[in-house]
Amino acid sequence: MDVVTLIWLYILSLVRWLLHEAPLQVINFIKSLPTLIPELLKWLWDFIWFNFKPLAQIIVIPGLAFILLFAMIAVWFERKFLARAMLRIGPYYCGKRSGWLQVIADFLKLFFKEFVIPDDVEKALFLAAPVLLPTIPALAITLIPFDSNWVLFDAGGLSLPVFLAIAGLAPVIPIFAGWAANNKYTIIGSFRTAYLYVSGEIPLVICAAATALLAGSLDLVDIVEAQRPLWFAIPQFIGFLVFFVGLILEAERTPFDVPTAETELVIGWRTEFSGVLFGFTMMAEYVSFLGWTLLFIVLYLGGYLGPSLLGVPLYDHIFWMLLKLAVIVVIVVLIRTVYPRLRLDQTLRLGWNYLMPLALLNLFITIILKWGLMI
Amino acid sequence: MTEPEVKPEVMRISWGPQHPMSGQTRILIDVDGEVVRRIIADIGFTHRGIEKILEKRTFIQGIVPIERMVMADTANIALGYVQAVEEALGIEVPERAKWIRSLICEMGRINSHLYAFGLQVECTGYFPAVFLWTTVDREVLLDLFEKLTGARWSYSFFIPGGVRADLPEGFRDEVKRAVKYLRRRFQDYWDAMVENPLFEMRNRGVGILSREDAIRLGATGPVLRGSGVDMDVRRDEPYAAYGDLDFKVITEKEGDCLARLKVRFHEIEQSLNIMEQIADEIPGGPVRTKVPLFPRSKPGVEALSRVETARGELGVHIFTDGGMKPYRVKINSPTLRNMYVFERLAELDKVLVADLPVILYSIDPWYLDCDR
Repeated sequence: MDVVTLIWLYILSLVRWLLHEAPLQVINFIKSLPTLIPELLKWLWDFIWFNFKPLAQIIVIPGLAFILLFAMIAVWFERKFLARAMLRIGPYYCGKRSGWLQVIADFLKLFFKEFVIPDDVEKALFLAAPVLLPTIPALAITLIPFDSNWVLFDAGGLSLPVFLAIAGLAPVIPIFAGWAANNKYTIIGSFRTAYLYVSGEIPLVICAAATALLAGSLDLVDIVEAQRPLWFAIPQFIGFLVFFVGLILEAERTPFDVPTAETELVIGWRTEFSGVLFGFTMMAEYVSFLGWTLLFIVLYLGGYLGPSLLGVPLYDHIFWMLLKLAVIVVIVVLIRTVYPRLRLDQTLRLGWNYLMPLALLNLFITIILKWGLMI
Repeated sequence: MTEPEVKPEVMRISWGPQHPMSGQTRILIDVDGEVVRRIIADIGFTHRGIEKILEKRTFIQGIVPIERMVMADTANIALGYVQAVEEALGIEVPERAKWIRSLICEMGRINSHLYAFGLQVECTGYFPAVFLWTTVDREVLLDLFEKLTGARWSYSFFIPGGVRADLPEGFRDEVKRAVKYLRRRFQDYWDAMVENPLFEMRNRGVGILSREDAIRLGATGPVLRGSGVDMDVRRDEPYAAYGDLDFKVITEKEGDCLARLKVRFHEIEQSLNIMEQIADEIPGGPVRTKVPLFPRSKPGVEALSRVETARGELGVHIFTDGGMKPYRVKINSPTLRNMYVFERLAELDKVLVADLPVILYSIDPWYLDCDR
């Protein structure tokens, strides 16, 4: 038989199947539906039931819902609080005077706005950057322990260095974004970002290393558990302060919002982004801030550990983590109301002349402390 | 404006008019990384031909267009023109009108300085809290203006021969209350700005203008006094009631942005003192001499009036040809002089991109004043 005959035979058999077999199969399938649907539902139910916790973790904490909710609440609080400092009322009409719906309204507006892509941009990078920006810090957040067995991504006892490695990727994106946008303001802004992160991240890593040394482990859960007698904020007070300043620096918050300085560079490397792309860059700022703050809480403020009452530790719960987060957000927003922005050279001088030696001093003290404890 | 050529090692940035901090002007800067190598201000970008408009108006009609030069400081600007007209037409002004003029001029000066304050603080990257504080606090003054003149801005209150109206009932007490309130508020500004270490870091030693350079380049107003030159038209050539009033001329030696800010701050205190003095000691009498609606000038009269506005010395020079309109009005405006200083600052001192808005707003520019 030649090939043409074969093909004809195949087509004929297909037609026969369609005419004779297929209707029967469809009828059988419809007949079995009453039994099939409950089976499907049961499978789904079992899937949810047995994977409830990981699913909840992915969706709720530390997943997308948590991040979006945090960004929403933080933006709302910041706007209201700053408005008070400025003798204004702030968002008022959306959502019964508290204005909490204003954030959602703004986001919807940004989402449905037309975004402009200028002619001379590097399109792939320009479009990828706003998507990658919130993704990378969000990825790092998966390593944070919200409870002793509430860690989404098990890094095999190396969660601290993995966190720092992932979070260290983040500043590359603004540099690319600023370059891709092909604008003079964005290019200056992205170089400022590069300078800023180099001066801020190294003291942070050294401080984190000191806490790992004190805890004797690179795993974030172990570091939290090691703080059961005493939060590391007290034996590592210098590191605590350095990390706090570094965290504001890393999150590009006032007084270190040099790369997006509005009065100087329009909005730095974000200048060309519009519409939903701009919305993502705004969200990225809060996601990155959330990631570093959570690490700060885990390293120095005892993570999910509650305060101990008369020597008896209170119930460890994720609630404590969120409470500490809220306190730090309030302090950081408060800083924004009272301080102007530093210049780039002043920020770098702070990073290299003060944060870096202090971080090293802290590491040195920790080594001596640890050595003394071992003897 | 013909743009000068860009050198290969620098990048030219068009800083304005589409920039959050530039205002309605266009400034080109040549940057080498973070360092500003050259500043080119596009003077004339917002030219509106106010001098030409004044030639087409009668002497009294000219008051309204000239007030549009500086909206935050209309009293002082209008006074410069009105005094020149009075000199050209030979009109005498009653004593009480002079005192009322001084009162309004000082209120306008505070209004303008508050605005300058707020902007200088805002462009250091302060979230614009202080800017809004100043905006709220100037309401006190605007209410007084409204009560006295009927308008909150551009009140056209000064006319050749005096002022339009006398002080209303109880106005002097209200002035005293406003002074008391503002004194209390200025303590907050001092704490929030000058005592703030980070704000000081951004302003101290930035945009230094030495005494010699300030004189050589023709700086004026708080910029000149911030560089240590003791000069104030109010004291040197007293006009209105300033000859009878007791006030100090504020100078600071440093010549940087913080010094200019401090000069403005202390000048506000002096202005408050003057307001109190006027409220206490204002003489009685008429506030206006009768002047015809379309006064006709003698031919070939030349009149020059100098006043100290919030931004510096304003000169108005009027020539007449015997008609109902001035033949030529030449205005020497303070911002124009200070903008030339601003352009040269990149050569005199190392200026970073981040310092540029701070320096620009420390000279308190008003572009319509600059371009007229």
